[in-house]
Amino acid sequence: MAKESFYSAVLLDHFRHSRNKGELDGADIVRRGHNPRCGDEIEVGLYLQGEKLAQVKFRGRGCSVCMASASMMTEAVTGCSKQEAYHLWEEMRDLFGDGNENDVKHPTNNLQALSVVREYPARQRCVLISWEALRDALRGL
Amino acid sequence: MSESAFLLLENKIADFPLLQSAQHSCLHYLDNAATTQKPASVISAMADCYQSCYAPIHRGLYPLAAAATALYENSRVKLAGFIGAEKSEQIVFTRSTTEAINMVAWGWARNRLQAGDYIWVTRMEHHSNFLPWQRICKLCNAKLRIIELHEDGTLNLDAATELFSKRTRLIALCHVSNVLGGVNPVGALCEQAAALNIPVLVDAAQSVAHIPIDVGVLDCDFLVFSAHKMYGPTGIGALYAKSARLEEMEPLLLGGGMVDEVSDETRSWSAIPARFEAGSPNLADAVGFAAAVDYLGGIGMRRIEAHVDSLTRRAGAALARIDGLRLIAPMTPTSASIISFDMPGIHPHDIAQVLGECGVAVRAGHHCCQPLMHSLGLSATTRASFGVYNRQDDIDALLAAIDRVRRLFA
Ligand SMILES: Cc1ncc(COP(=O)(O)O)c(C=O)c1O
Repeated sequence: MAKESFYSAVLLDHFRHSRNKGELDGADIVRRGHNPRCGDEIEVGLYLQGEKLAQVKFRGRGCSVCMASASMMTEAVTGCSKQEAYHLWEEMRDLFGDGNENDVKHPTNNLQALSVVREYPARQRCVLISWEALRDALRGL
Repeated sequence: MSESAFLLLENKIADFPLLQSAQHSCLHYLDNAATTQKPASVISAMADCYQSCYAPIHRGLYPLAAAATALYENSRVKLAGFIGAEKSEQIVFTRSTTEAINMVAWGWARNRLQAGDYIWVTRMEHHSNFLPWQRICKLCNAKLRIIELHEDGTLNLDAATELFSKRTRLIALCHVSNVLGGVNPVGALCEQAAALNIPVLVDAAQSVAHIPIDVGVLDCDFLVFSAHKMYGPTGIGALYAKSARLEEMEPLLLGGGMVDEVSDETRSWSAIPARFEAGSPNLADAVGFAAAVDYLGGIGMRRIEAHVDSLTRRAGAALARIDGLRLIAPMTPTSASIISFDMPGIHPHDIAQVLGECGVAVRAGHHCCQPLMHSLGLSATTRASFGVYNRQDDIDALLAAIDRVRRLFA
């Protein structure tokens, strides 16, 4: 049977009531992340004010983890500088990519709800799709 | 007792150590189309082989090697009997269904295909019965033609107007789709094709464990299947072919054991089937394969078919009544062992994950059938598939878990 339930209230809340989800009109840059294995596809749009990400939005479709992760990502990086946002991406990459267990930093903010996914290697890609789109957008600026 | 209850087998869980173990006593294993669990008789036959009759095949001159070789060849005889092959030499041991299809594509079809020829497959093929044909068609400037499906998931043979054309060199199709679960009319197709001398390859990966097959009656040219989907070991499969087709086929793998004479410039292939079994033969898996055949035979294929059919029908009927759940293919009179479904708004990976948390093992994904998924407009489905050890309580657990999915994501 399950260890800690995969579907925490926070995760389900971000899935059911995704934040910053909608059309990306007027974004300074839009980038896409996808996983052809499950058909998940997320587009992330950045709205800048000076050096800061004044608004970050997404649209697309995917499983609950993919949508919740995208929603949490937009909340986490809104108001960040480009460097801060890129740094968060790197932390997520280490946490859900092939990061070494010893140097990963566990998130302390609302991203904590995603930590459980680390125990499910098959779902880790779902977390990263929106973050990869964020990375590409930041690099493209 | 209802009629369908009458069709059910007695409880088979006791035959399967994994399902009986304390660790998995709550498991409802409904992923049989991916691979089946193994009965104790298969596991012990393989262990016995390693413990008491293991040596190289076709090579040693000492008594143990002779005994091991006899064991290997007896497995072939068993397999031949199981599918009604006339001669055991018509069974080639392969690594899997996948390898068997590649052997036919590369070793047989490639040499016979000319520019403008057709190879026909269907919209519902597994990648393993699609990609090998796609590649050789590209290579030979031939055309890969596809039998499309009706709305209900059955083959639309009327629309495949050139199926029996003079250009068709082969028809390759599955007996049962690993996504849709319907039984294709392979017998009728083989009969029509035979009248025009068009060879047919039947991918029996999903049918061989549930439906009695007699190649003498079916009259296909090639039949391929894997042991691991019929309660046997992973790592071995079989290619059956008519003797004339095997004579026409070039070996895909070259190496030891498949050649009689080798010089710097020339070689002469060994007799069939050794010609197609390069390298050291896989004795223990062949023994396990034969033990799986004995296991199925001991129950009786007709009874297995009735059992699995009855479970599939009941599960299908119950699932069809659930609001917000859609069967990918409606249950037809020929549904067998597999049900795929979709819950619009809920991703199949979420469905399978919640089901997994409830102890119900199903598969979610494209099932290695992307051409089919594209035509259905889906990226993935959830699939439940049944085997001899499944019971009504597995269906009940599936339904309860789906209820939980609905409550969680509603
Ligand atoms: C219809 C069908 N054909 C072929 C295969 C390939 O079988 P294997 O992976 O054992 O080679 C499968 C297995 O998933 C299948 O379902």
